[in-house]
Amino acid sequence: MSVITVFNALHCNEEQIVPRLVDTTGYRLVGDGEIAALAGKMSGIPAERVSRAFAAKTSLFNPFTHEKERSVAYMRQAVAEMLVEGNLVVVGFCCHLVPASISHVLRICLVADMAYRVRQAQSLPVPEKDPLKTIHKSDEDKAAWVLQMTGKADPWDPALYDIVIPTDKIRAEESMHLIVRNLHAEVVAPTEASLAALADFRLQARVQVALTLEGHEVTVAAKDGAVTLTIEKNVLMLSRLEQELKEIVQKVEGVRSVATEVGKNFHQADIYRKLDFQAPARVLLVDDEREFVQTLSERLLLRDMGSAVAYDGESALEMLREDEPDVMILDLKMPGIDGMEVLRRVKATQPEIEVIILTGHGNETDRETCMQLGAFAYLQKPVDIDVLSETMKQANEKIMQRRQQGS
Amino acid sequence: MKKKEVILQAATHLFSRKGYKDTAMGELTKMTGAAEGTIFYHYKSKQGLFLAILSNLKEGILPEFERYRNAESEKTGLDMVEESISFYLYMAQSREDLFAILHQRYPYELAESNPECRDHLEAVYNCFVDIFENAIVTGQRDGSIAPDIAARKSALIVFSMVDSMVRFRMNNLYDVGALYKDLIESCRRMLENRTR
Repeated sequence: MSVITVFNALHCNEEQIVPRLVDTTGYRLVGDGEIAALAGKMSGIPAERVSRAFAAKTSLFNPFTHEKERSVAYMRQAVAEMLVEGNLVVVGFCCHLVPASISHVLRICLVADMAYRVRQAQSLPVPEKDPLKTIHKSDEDKAAWVLQMTGKADPWDPALYDIVIPTDKIRAEESMHLIVRNLHAEVVAPTEASLAALADFRLQARVQVALTLEGHEVTVAAKDGAVTLTIEKNVLMLSRLEQELKEIVQKVEGVRSVATEVGKNFHQADIYRKLDFQAPARVLLVDDEREFVQTLSERLLLRDMGSAVAYDGESALEMLREDEPDVMILDLKMPGIDGMEVLRRVKATQPEIEVIILTGHGNETDRETCMQLGAFAYLQKPVDIDVLSETMKQANEKIMQRRQQGS
Repeated sequence: MKKKEVILQAATHLFSRKGYKDTAMGELTKMTGAAEGTIFYHYKSKQGLFLAILSNLKEGILPEFERYRNAESEKTGLDMVEESISFYLYMAQSREDLFAILHQRYPYELAESNPECRDHLEAVYNCFVDIFENAIVTGQRDGSIAPDIAARKSALIVFSMVDSMVRFRMNNLYDVGALYKDLIESCRRMLENRTR
């Protein structure tokens, strides 16, 4: 009855580990392809268009078509129905559609350091031409997906999994044994609670599909047939919307009651909303110290500033080509393209982005060079979060003024 | 008229013409002859004055909409939709300064942080949309309107078309009188029950 989910970074020995796992357990292998196909059949959206939901980039037309939301909703329902079957190895993006409350699922994550992954890519029968690029692209898609599904900025965050296996350190055979050993542990056995959680998940998935079909984007929670809808949007005619949502959901099979609530940060007289006008909306954090950036990212979120994260200069520049942040917070010392070089290139191509240097290793010469290159500010680590957010607000003010003059 | 009401009326006039942000309290004193202190005594602040206008707008317009909605009618639902469109356009014309305030950005900005403002606006818009929704539901019951359309969503769509017409006229974008007949026909085509 148990289920194993395997979410892996690209080129982390997955093609060795997964088949062995399937052989040893006798479980059925389910990949994203099968789930997308099933979702396609249920929704009428062609399967290959359903799979586009896995890409970090969303179609420009999505705000009108809602195709991504519909695809995800149907895939969630497909996964929910499959889980009933049990004895599965689910591999790929769809792992993150399974809620953590279903405890008879063993969640595995395969990771390895970049050098190892590149070597793996090169040793393929048909070696990849630009493995680093493929890996970055794959990581970007996975990070965007995990962020969207779980709210975690790091797709490999240990909190999301039962076991994270560093496959550059543990061989495939051993990894497989490690997984099987844990599979037989008592905690992964189905219990009354975990089966109830599965039933809740199936109901939640059905409700989500019904709502998405009507073009609504609402957070859904289900417990024993009681459904709670959280409206995460600022809507003035709220009671009207609530009424409509309730009418849609009441018709879904298995729903006993429906309640609606409004998301914490919406249309309430709290200071966070007001900060909105002063704080930059799009912030890119570039720093190779993962833990530091993630903490920073979370703390900024508390102040209502959304941020994207890049762990090295190269991916930062890559992200800039796709998307334009208002403000960038940049560490100087990084492997590969260093912060100074990133600053130079940003200011040459996208001078309207305000760059705040945040470094632990800087000196007076660095400061001068950075300021000459056009940095907005130069701050030393450790930085007081108040000082940083004040600096960001000042940067934003400058941007706003420029935009007003420009318009 | 009491001083308090004079101030409110003058402020409605100024806000509707110049916008909230571009109205200086000095102008209001000039127009009403009331000292700035008097204005603040009655309304606490510029924002307080604005909220009072909204509240006054609500109390002034809504009863008329309610009365209209509750009036007995022999007509079919589809005809009621047509009538509601005329009624809305008529109200928007006869209360132009109040509608001008509703067509500004400021009230909605304020609604994001001010629950009182939010409540006023929600009540106003509910009442506006209700006349259309009520007509559509009636039409679905009497068979004049297609049974398979979503009444709630269609009411919002009809409302947003009609309300845009008001905006068109206020900003002199086009001769709206020339569009009236076509507006009615479009709404009829959108809603009518073709299976009959």
